[in-house]
Amino acid sequence: MDDDRIVQLYWDRNEAAITASSQKYGAYCLAIARNILSDRLDAEECVNDTWLRAWNAMPPHRPSLLAAFLGKITRHLSFDRYKKLHREKRGGHQLDAVLDELAECVSGADDTERQWEAKALIEEINRFLFRLPEDRRYLFIRRYWYADSISQIAGRMNMSVNQVSVILSRLRHRLKDDLIERGFDI
Amino acid sequence: MRKEELFEAIEDIDPGSVNKARLFRKRRRPLWAAAAAVAACAALIIGTIGGVMTMRQKAAGSSVKTMSGITTVRAAYPEPVAQTLSAQAFMESDEHWQWWQAYHDQASGTEGLQSGMTAYNLSLMAQLLVSDRENTVCSPLNTYIAFAMLAEVSGGRTRQQVLAMLGADDIGTLRSQVTALWESNYADTPVLKSLLANSVWLSSDVTYHEDTLKNLADHYYASAFSGTPGSEAMNEALRKWTDDNTGGLLSDYTKTMALDPDTVLEILSTIYYKAMWREDFREENTTQEVFHGTAGDTTAAMMHKTDMMSVYRSDKFLSTSLGLSDSGAMHFFLPNEGVDVNELVSDPAVMSALRYDSADSRWSFPEVNLTVPKFKVSGKTDLLEAVRALGVTDALDPSLSDFTPLTADRENLYLSKAEHAAMIEIDEYGVTGAAYTELALAEGAAEPDEVIDLVLDRPFLFVVTGLDGSVLFAGVVRNIDA
Repeated sequence: MDDDRIVQLYWDRNEAAITASSQKYGAYCLAIARNILSDRLDAEECVNDTWLRAWNAMPPHRPSLLAAFLGKITRHLSFDRYKKLHREKRGGHQLDAVLDELAECVSGADDTERQWEAKALIEEINRFLFRLPEDRRYLFIRRYWYADSISQIAGRMNMSVNQVSVILSRLRHRLKDDLIERGFDI
Repeated sequence: MRKEELFEAIEDIDPGSVNKARLFRKRRRPLWAAAAAVAACAALIIGTIGGVMTMRQKAAGSSVKTMSGITTVRAAYPEPVAQTLSAQAFMESDEHWQWWQAYHDQASGTEGLQSGMTAYNLSLMAQLLVSDRENTVCSPLNTYIAFAMLAEVSGGRTRQQVLAMLGADDIGTLRSQVTALWESNYADTPVLKSLLANSVWLSSDVTYHEDTLKNLADHYYASAFSGTPGSEAMNEALRKWTDDNTGGLLSDYTKTMALDPDTVLEILSTIYYKAMWREDFREENTTQEVFHGTAGDTTAAMMHKTDMMSVYRSDKFLSTSLGLSDSGAMHFFLPNEGVDVNELVSDPAVMSALRYDSADSRWSFPEVNLTVPKFKVSGKTDLLEAVRALGVTDALDPSLSDFTPLTADRENLYLSKAEHAAMIEIDEYGVTGAAYTELALAEGAAEPDEVIDLVLDRPFLFVVTGLDGSVLFAGVVRNIDA
């Protein structure tokens, strides 16, 4: 079923929307959740919650890219659960490495009095991404949006693990420099 | 800021990029293929473009009198980037990063100019690409730059007509626009050759206004050559300059190039373009199939690729595009059954299909089984009638034209010659193209659930765009030579 029809089912309050979403994007959303959560049951719950969240969001939303829309919900729910589960303990999970890498770009401090808006930060990150050669942009997104492992990315990009690590490291430093230069003292 | 907050913030990045990253996979270019592509490129650089390097790198701005009696003033051209690196080594180097950032920023600055050029591009394509049986090809950007130079040397109503044709408000705006376009589309790296060059050919018997020649050099990167129009030495220099700057790809047309003895000014603008597909076609998938041309069926080498692609559907055509490394894309437009390809060349929807817009429902992102013939198209066109049809009339009439910004020495100057030659060739590895525009002034008397089969086995339109969306080449393939 094409995406427009699935979205229309949500708008029509037809529960077939959930079945269609699950059939078409279940595996995709589960892969995102599994990248963030180590436990398969936790991941599956987040995917199931994704359809409920989508049901509540459409209407009024009418996403033009349903996959990205659903994936974003899964990512959000999974990260919420990750934070809840890891408030006390940590270590050993794929996402820990992703977060530790991102730590290179930030101060680590609670900056409640920051001078910039979150929306402006997103715009700046988008600007940074659009200035990257296309394969570098997708490499960054695969790591920090999808939370793919380095070896998964290496396979997808036909690169060695070392190459991917080096490129990601450069991208993080460039992102940090870029944000600082633009006044985002994060 | 804490790392978790940054991870959360990244959640809201552009969904289009997230979607593309979902589907993006990079296939390794076979080593032998990469080597072949580099070797082909190198041969062109050394054999032909090498000549350009020689001409361009001599002290820019200084006057040099040669043995043949032709005085030249070279415009300053950008230095080539990382010439000693292979394409792959360059892509992985810091030099690529630095070059790309500057090039990308430059291109971002001229993206906004494209909408203003749409009307000109469509008008020109309507004039040059319509035909019953012949393949047609032109370089809108190349003609645009040549006509902008014509505007510089003209005055009064003559200039106003040229500005109107180009959609420019005034000469100052046009001048800065062309400088920006030139710089956005000039690239000389191991991965991308997009080499633009301009020149003016002058008579040593005429005194020209220096400020006009300086504007041409400073804003249009135009080198100046002065000698005796009609002399074999000047004709030979003209042909050599054009061949050098078009990679020798238009030699069938340049071999007859000559300046009329009455020439007071000839404007020459060239482009040489060579870009690699972001993802090659696999040579082993190329098959011999039938192409249903306007002159009958022929057997053509058809390249095949299956991938997720952006597809645009209008009531007249189906289109998709293939990305070119470090550059823009090549767009293919297959007319719907019953639609003549000639209807597409002036269809505004073609210009809409050059730039992805997620809010436009005519776009989708299905899996496409794409079949494209390998082809080479070339042609030479007289632009005088096209120019007249686009509203430039005074320049063609010695009694009405005004070229006073050029010289006070001669009266009754008129546009006596306007010719455009272009070629484009595609294969499994990329796109190669070249074009020149020659304007002469004489004294008198231009996860898919949907799978689409896009099979270009009948006449189709193509457009090649640069990184900023500039239309570098456009053409119609109606027949494939067997």
